Amino acid sequence: MAEEYALQNVWLGIGVVAILFGIFYYVGWWASRKTASEEDFYAAGFSIGPVTNGLGMAATWASLATFLGVIALIQKLQVPFVYLWIQWAISIPLLTLLYGTSLRRMKAFTPASFIRSRYGKSSTIVIVCWMALIMVMYALGQMIGLGQAFELLFGIPYNIGLIIAGIATVGFITMGGMYGASYNAAFQMIVMTIAMIVPMGAIMKAMGSSGWWFPPLAYGDMAPSMLEKIPTFFDMKYDVRWYFALIPAFTLGPVALPHLAMRVFTSSSVKSARWAVVWFVIFLGLLFSGSYTAGFAGNYFAATTGRTIAKPDQTLLILNVFYNPALVAAFVMGGAVAAGLSTIGGNLMAIAGLVGNDLLSILAPRMETKKRIKWGYAALAIGGVVAILLAFNPPRFLVTSILWAFGLLATTATPGILLGVWWKEANKLALMISSILCGVIYIIISPHVLPSISLGGTGLVAQLGMSGGMVTVPLSFALFILCSIAFNRVPALADWAPSMEDKMVVDKIHGWGDYDEKRYNGIGWPLLIVAICCAVFFWGLVPWT
Amino acid sequence: MEDKLYKKEIWLTIGFSALLLLCGHSAMIFRIFPGLCKGTFWGFPTEYIVPILLGWFGLAVVCVIMALILNKFDDEMETYVDGQSPDKP
Repeated sequence: MAEEYALQNVWLGIGVVAILFGIFYYVGWWASRKTASEEDFYAAGFSIGPVTNGLGMAATWASLATFLGVIALIQKLQVPFVYLWIQWAISIPLLTLLYGTSLRRMKAFTPASFIRSRYGKSSTIVIVCWMALIMVMYALGQMIGLGQAFELLFGIPYNIGLIIAGIATVGFITMGGMYGASYNAAFQMIVMTIAMIVPMGAIMKAMGSSGWWFPPLAYGDMAPSMLEKIPTFFDMKYDVRWYFALIPAFTLGPVALPHLAMRVFTSSSVKSARWAVVWFVIFLGLLFSGSYTAGFAGNYFAATTGRTIAKPDQTLLILNVFYNPALVAAFVMGGAVAAGLSTIGGNLMAIAGLVGNDLLSILAPRMETKKRIKWGYAALAIGGVVAILLAFNPPRFLVTSILWAFGLLATTATPGILLGVWWKEANKLALMISSILCGVIYIIISPHVLPSISLGGTGLVAQLGMSGGMVTVPLSFALFILCSIAFNRVPALADWAPSMEDKMVVDKIHGWGDYDEKRYNGIGWPLLIVAICCAVFFWGLVPWT
Repeated sequence: MEDKLYKKEIWLTIGFSALLLLCGHSAMIFRIFPGLCKGTFWGFPTEYIVPILLGWFGLAVVCVIMALILNKFDDEMETYVDGQSPDKP
């Protein structure tokens, strides 16, 4: 029975969470005094240094799932899920390399700010709608997790936990804007790393590991014992295509996540952004490796004690309640709450930027800056309230899988951003057609909306969007490229072709002082990409076993 | 100079993209070449620990090299752009 491991002393939970929220509100209040312009509100005045930004990037990326869902899924899938999680660490380095520094150079607030400069208003509305949908899904998942965490910590009903956690969270994020979100995220990363790693050391020691002094990597002496109990634990289990399918859905999707890109944009300079990425990898690697250890320990605990973990999401809490003092278990839950808050902070800032800045500058281009900032605050708060309201009775479609949404983003937004930065021929109409068409196909062939029309069956690969992404992501890239080449050569569609101004944006964001038509142009490389996409597309159509 | 810088930017981007993908997806190599799934490292099966190490320390090393080389590239680009500016000597 899972209940016997629940945190008994409610006041410990209240104390830990009250202290953490006190700090978050203080940082939010301090940050609010620094926020005077749009640059401050959306990009922390482009002033965040590499270490703080690296911590902030890691905190924004590491969600509640790091403490709950990942460990539960390692319980279920064992090592293949570790492989799935490892590849997420390359998301921010890849986005920084492929477009982050270019967009930081143009002082964009969100990726959609670039879409507006490069493709114009209509395309921006399409991309903003997709991104906002995915951000709401993301924030919704975190809100549900926060409600559950409060339920566990305080023993209160889920709905009450959700209201308290939701309002308290939206309050300090709205107050602090990007300054508050950045410094709070940096602090939250420190809290969550300590909460994950230090108690895990005590757990590993109690389990008999001589490597308890460094839980993320030093539990190798437990591996033979694990293999005795669960001989299949380290098996790779799936075929090559399963591993390849991680790339289109889970690598290319997060590359376009606006809340991750916005962390890169807050950097004090382009060079500082690159060093921030180094710190990000170091900090995130430490936390993620701690999660893998917790997943290993959860399996080991169940196998060696014969106890059943009825709610795998609660594995980390159960291990801490079982092996550590109650105060430590409460602190671990505090770390999980911090993980959720940092991600919600990023999600809400992205919604504020997408709606308050990108969309509003299209719908009301003459609005005064001060008024637009107020709308930014309003968009942030409204985004939070919508996520809270949805979390009361979440639509199944929206919560089924945040991971599934990554494939949707890879299909709808990633091609537009990457090709827009690297290819002058990228056409506005081609972007809209490929984004809308392939996005709708991705939704249709997933098992979530129309289960009767599913590609990849109803299994995990379909539910996570891996099978769908392997079809629609290459299709979207190929369609975008081929339509761009065709449309740019049809005189009747000349209005949709990239103008000289659009093409000059490309040279400018790469740092060139002049314009050269030959740079980032031509159709040789794009056609090679189309050929690769076709191969992946047809591989994706082969039925999954 | 301009052409050299342009080609350098393209190849650096392709090269680092490949390295990042390799660090993040090294598990796939063990799946393609099952013969590599032999032995242990730090007590773990190699196919388990190597992807974790590459996804953390390997990635960190690639990112350090990326920061050093691309920041140097930015300096070269700035020098070139400054040289192109008509009000510069």
